[in-house]
Amino acid sequence: MAPALFVDTGSPVHRLNPVTKLVALLSILVIVFALPQWWTSAIVVVAILVPAAIVARRARALAGIGGRILLPIVLVLVLVQGFTFPGGRTVVWQWGALSLTAEGLTFALNTGARIVALVLASVLLVVTTHPGDLMSALTEHGLSPKFSYIISSTLQLIPSFRTRADGILLAQQARGLAIPRSPLRRVRVMLPLLGPLVLGMFTDVEERGTAMEARGFGSTVRRTALEAVPDSPGQRLARWLMAALAAAAVVVPLVQELL
Amino acid sequence: MSDPIAVDPHRTRDRLLVVAGAILIAATYSYLILSQPAEIAASGTSRAGLIAMAGYLVGAVLIAAGSVRQIPTAVIAMIPVAIALNIVAGQIVSTLSLTVYLDSIGTVLVSVLAGPAAGVVTGILSNVIWGLTLTPIPLPFAVVQVVIAVLAGLAARAGVFRHVYLPPLAGVLTGFVTAMVSAPIAAFVFGGATGGSAGAIVGAFQAMGRSLLEATTLQGLLYDPLDKAITFTVVGILIAALPARFLQRFPFARTYRVFGKGPLTRTPTTSAG
Repeated sequence: MAPALFVDTGSPVHRLNPVTKLVALLSILVIVFALPQWWTSAIVVVAILVPAAIVARRARALAGIGGRILLPIVLVLVLVQGFTFPGGRTVVWQWGALSLTAEGLTFALNTGARIVALVLASVLLVVTTHPGDLMSALTEHGLSPKFSYIISSTLQLIPSFRTRADGILLAQQARGLAIPRSPLRRVRVMLPLLGPLVLGMFTDVEERGTAMEARGFGSTVRRTALEAVPDSPGQRLARWLMAALAAAAVVVPLVQELL
Repeated sequence: MSDPIAVDPHRTRDRLLVVAGAILIAATYSYLILSQPAEIAASGTSRAGLIAMAGYLVGAVLIAAGSVRQIPTAVIAMIPVAIALNIVAGQIVSTLSLTVYLDSIGTVLVSVLAGPAAGVVTGILSNVIWGLTLTPIPLPFAVVQVVIAVLAGLAARAGVFRHVYLPPLAGVLTGFVTAMVSAPIAAFVFGGATGGSAGAIVGAFQAMGRSLLEATTLQGLLYDPLDKAITFTVVGILIAALPARFLQRFPFARTYRVFGKGPLTRTPTTSAG
């Protein structure tokens, strides 16, 4: 699953330190939620995310994945809030008992723009960063190796989950299990296959814990990295600047309100 | 086995992190509930979204950071399987657009076997990895997994999983709490539009004159208790099907006699590995 999203085009965006990209993502999230007008998100998407995606040569992937995630949400948001927003007064368009209100549409625009920025920024991080690199970089910055083990291990596990499911299915078919065409009855046939799948996965990890302990996994000593993730003073500075910008986005409006 | 890491120098710091995280989550929820009725009329430009995201996420991260060191390696090895179970089941169910989520079976299972600390890490990382692989939408809801893990762990300690009929009831109670906790995220981050049918129900409640937060809370109260009842029941079935040797490997399950009165559980000091 993860490798399908990540394609290494070797672009400057791919070569950035993963932590820099993560700090950028978090700063963007703070900024679009701290300055909640729709144009903040619009500026972020147009001025940062789209150019970054083009530089990374992953603009099409970003549009495809982002669109697939966002389309249903934005559609529901506009319909639901457009027609039923509690503060809606100004009726723009009426159809029977349903009335589309300007306030509802404004709400949908402001909220929707934030969701678009949130989803596109996260997807851009995912399509330009190998999860393994992200984990190594975060461990170098002091993340507990337990977290990186769990995350990296899960990413490898999900495909093997599928392989095992296929194996169980084939074994059952060899014993004469017929898989019906209709999706509902197919679900009913599949349900008994879940048991061996899940139980097999859990009993498989029994020995793994002992093996990890024997190799010093539980040790809390800070170790050096086998593969150092490239970093630069410029990126270090950029990370602090982005964090400061995000903090300013929170603090400045508060101060303005108080004065 | 009750106190295997008493010499751990980080113990106090870990406790403080967990307590700070819990207070932050509770404070975020109370603030959002108390301050919102006045702010809600604004056209989505209030800072409630930021407070919901930041308060819940930072709280969840603090609790995870405080929990991870307490988890023995044998449990760490199991957590990826539980996370994969969460994500695979949750993704399949979400594409079928049913009125349940079923994205916390692994969280509840780990919580029941290995205690709430391990469950919390399973839950949070499930939503993080979901965000890293398929869609970032579950990411803001990570705090809900924390609540599920803690409540499932408490239920297991209380002996709920010794009986056949109690897990669904514990699930319903958990569902009420998660509905409350998740409502501000659904309202202020997603504007009520978290999924097809859920969005329609939020719209229906708003059309009846409810505020956005009330509508998402009511929608949660319709969905979550059923979802968690099914989740807890599935976990009960899974536990019944797992070999006793596997279940007895976990100090938490032995100490609190999670699975009742078998000969191994009655003497928690017996090494069953």
